[in-house]
Amino acid sequence: MHKPWYSIFYIQSPIAKIVWGIFGVVLSMVVILFVLATEETRMMAQTGNWEGRSIEHGAALYSGNCASCHGNHGQGEPGPALNSNYFFTQRLDDLAFAGTLEDYVSLTITAGRPSKTNGQWAVMMPTWSARHGGPMRDDQVLNVTAYVMNWEEEALAQSPEEDPWITFLDTPGDLGPSGVPPVTQPVADVEEGEVRAPDQIFASLACAACHNLLEPQTEDNRGPVGPNMGNLDEVAATRVEGMSASDYVHQSIVEPNAHVVASYMPNLMPAGLADRMTEEELNGLVEWLLDPDRAQ
Amino acid sequence: MAVQPEVQKKGLLSSALGVADDVFTRITAGISAGEFRRMLRGEPPGRPNPRLKPHSEAFLLHIKPTYYHESVTRFTHTFRLGLLSTYLFFVETITGIFLMIWYAPSPDRAYDDMIRLLSDVPFGQFMRDLHRLGAEMMVAVVTLHMVRTYLTGSYKAPRQFTWFTGVVLLFITLFLSFSGYLLPWDQLAFWAVTIGTSMAEAVPPQIVGETVNLLARGAPDIGANGLLRFYLLHVFFLPLLLFLFFFVHYYKVVHFGISLPAQEEEVGQDTADKVPADRRVYFLPDVMIDETSLLIVFTAILIVLTAFFFQAPLESIANPQVTPLHTVSPWYFYWLQGLLKIADKVIAGVILPGILLVLLAAIPYLDPNPSRRGKDRRVAIISGIVAGVVMIILSWMGTPQYAVEGAPSVEVVQELMPEEGAGHVREAGYAHMPVGLWDTREPIPHDDPEFAHIMEVYQASIEKWMERDPDFNMAYGFMDITQDQPNLKKIRWELHWFTSEGEAETFERYFFLHRDAMYWEEYGFRDFRWLTESREGE
Repeated sequence: MHKPWYSIFYIQSPIAKIVWGIFGVVLSMVVILFVLATEETRMMAQTGNWEGRSIEHGAALYSGNCASCHGNHGQGEPGPALNSNYFFTQRLDDLAFAGTLEDYVSLTITAGRPSKTNGQWAVMMPTWSARHGGPMRDDQVLNVTAYVMNWEEEALAQSPEEDPWITFLDTPGDLGPSGVPPVTQPVADVEEGEVRAPDQIFASLACAACHNLLEPQTEDNRGPVGPNMGNLDEVAATRVEGMSASDYVHQSIVEPNAHVVASYMPNLMPAGLADRMTEEELNGLVEWLLDPDRAQ
Repeated sequence: MAVQPEVQKKGLLSSALGVADDVFTRITAGISAGEFRRMLRGEPPGRPNPRLKPHSEAFLLHIKPTYYHESVTRFTHTFRLGLLSTYLFFVETITGIFLMIWYAPSPDRAYDDMIRLLSDVPFGQFMRDLHRLGAEMMVAVVTLHMVRTYLTGSYKAPRQFTWFTGVVLLFITLFLSFSGYLLPWDQLAFWAVTIGTSMAEAVPPQIVGETVNLLARGAPDIGANGLLRFYLLHVFFLPLLLFLFFFVHYYKVVHFGISLPAQEEEVGQDTADKVPADRRVYFLPDVMIDETSLLIVFTAILIVLTAFFFQAPLESIANPQVTPLHTVSPWYFYWLQGLLKIADKVIAGVILPGILLVLLAAIPYLDPNPSRRGKDRRVAIISGIVAGVVMIILSWMGTPQYAVEGAPSVEVVQELMPEEGAGHVREAGYAHMPVGLWDTREPIPHDDPEFAHIMEVYQASIEKWMERDPDFNMAYGFMDITQDQPNLKKIRWELHWFTSEGEAETFERYFFLHRDAMYWEEYGFRDFRWLTESREGE
């Protein structure tokens, strides 16, 4: 019979076939033993991999949704700092929260936080979870949580001076005998007698969270939370009849609800801001805000 | 008792041997120890052949023929592709049952279950990779089986119906593979299946298409219902259907016998079921040894491939709001995706594949040529080859290489760091991405060869797109790598170029990369860095 050239590759002998079969069994066993031996390391690497990927996804979500309030590096302002030693070590005790910090973070992202109209966090934390009308799925909330928790190493290395945390006005335990929250100094203490520059006060009280200094306040360009301040020098005198521009701005800081610009929410501008500066600093701030040549 | 008188009569030793032989014969379903010894020595069977007994005694052997024609047992006649297809179906069933233990078909759980399977289940990744590799191989082997049958003309009378059931089996195999695609509930799965089922929607008239789509997805879009339906199709309905058609197919194969090589018969003759006594190769022991050793070696190959050269992909969790750039179907549907690019959805997605399938199933009834010899079948063989080449070209057109290119800047970044999947940067990994601002106009400033390679690819990619796109001139790019968090780097891509009108344009995009994240390509040597890398600080 005609034999094709490739017939040399045919395995005719049953013995050769059995040897191949035995070789196959041995090879399979060796490979499976190798997989078995490395399986634990592999599972650990995979665990790390998915935690890492979760942090990567969280980072993308954070920079798109959270960084505008909590800072690109979690330094806070206008929102609370997250990359903070205090946040990682003390915060839960001060809140008397029973769960872990991770629970607290995911809970806060999921369900938001009530607005602190009398505190310095004037912008409320929205309910991010789709379960409460927000945009995020559960897995996305967990990713952002993983990202926030990943600051731990960096935050724990902070010295108290480096900690960007700004103490809440109503931190439990700090309430005075009258029940009125005492004035709490920002973490960076001010030396006695030093007069701070107005732009510094504006920044440290997180006014910029709601008030844009560059944009003018006009009919079709309104600040979303608080009015823009780009043209405050022109607008201030027109708000309340018979009130000068500087009186109006002064009053707005000392008594935020005395006059609320139409279509803005009352109680949103924090009260008690004036207690956190001296009279001299307050006057400086008013003057600076009304300065038409103010750079920022 | 009956034992005692027997021992008294024959003696203890010979009774014990008799019992042992009896047990042996029962286990082998009719082969006595002596006959087994003769088999091992290669001696011919006695007459009547005692080696036929297991075929009538044992269920699993009764469906195998007792002997084959010598000519069809040559490896290159069939390449044992039918056997391998059947074997792969069993591999899929077994690995699939293991995977079902850790999987729940619900969008809330499915993706987490995959991660748990990969991270917490010993051999979990191995089972998943083996299942996926087996599925892709099954599609390939079944297709090759069909090609072999076509080229040897084995579909001709009297085997027309065998071919028809084979086409049905090919169709079921494709759908089994495709329905399993959705189950991990990642972006790759979700969008491939969204594209696939959207073709069902195109079936005219509209009411039929919409109904079919609604039945498949369980809702206008794929969601919890769609996932459950695909799961049930995958683990229940399609395997049952395949099982049924497999037995019809196999019964026909055994009934008619495997067709002989065409040269050994007259044209129009079919003598496969009348094997002369001197050309018979008995199943026991010759064919059994051959098939068993082949399957063992094939299994070893599968295991080696799974352990070292294949990793089933798992991308981000399915997100109906975000379509990743360059969504592709599985490779065995590339040709369909290619067709969809050049023609309307109704024509390319429904009518053409439908006609193709009917034609394929009807080939034996349409081909009037009685000869199975290659030289008499020039038209059939050449048209078969042409069809194969067309399929390959269409498949190439189905890949993102053809006609779906985005803006050059997007494509440059996509090549280095795609939205989903690995890409050069993620494959190099965190450790090889030095913090700093890197500019493609400057000489590559780093002595890390992996990073230098990435910058080379970056430069080359920009060059390539400047040649291709007249609106992409004097382009250069930055890669800005910053430490965002402990163990997390931010990689910001920034490209600048001028349009043909001289307008300056920029593109910016950023991604994050974690130290522990591992990304992989589906095919290729597995990345074993996790074995050697020290994981300090954990």
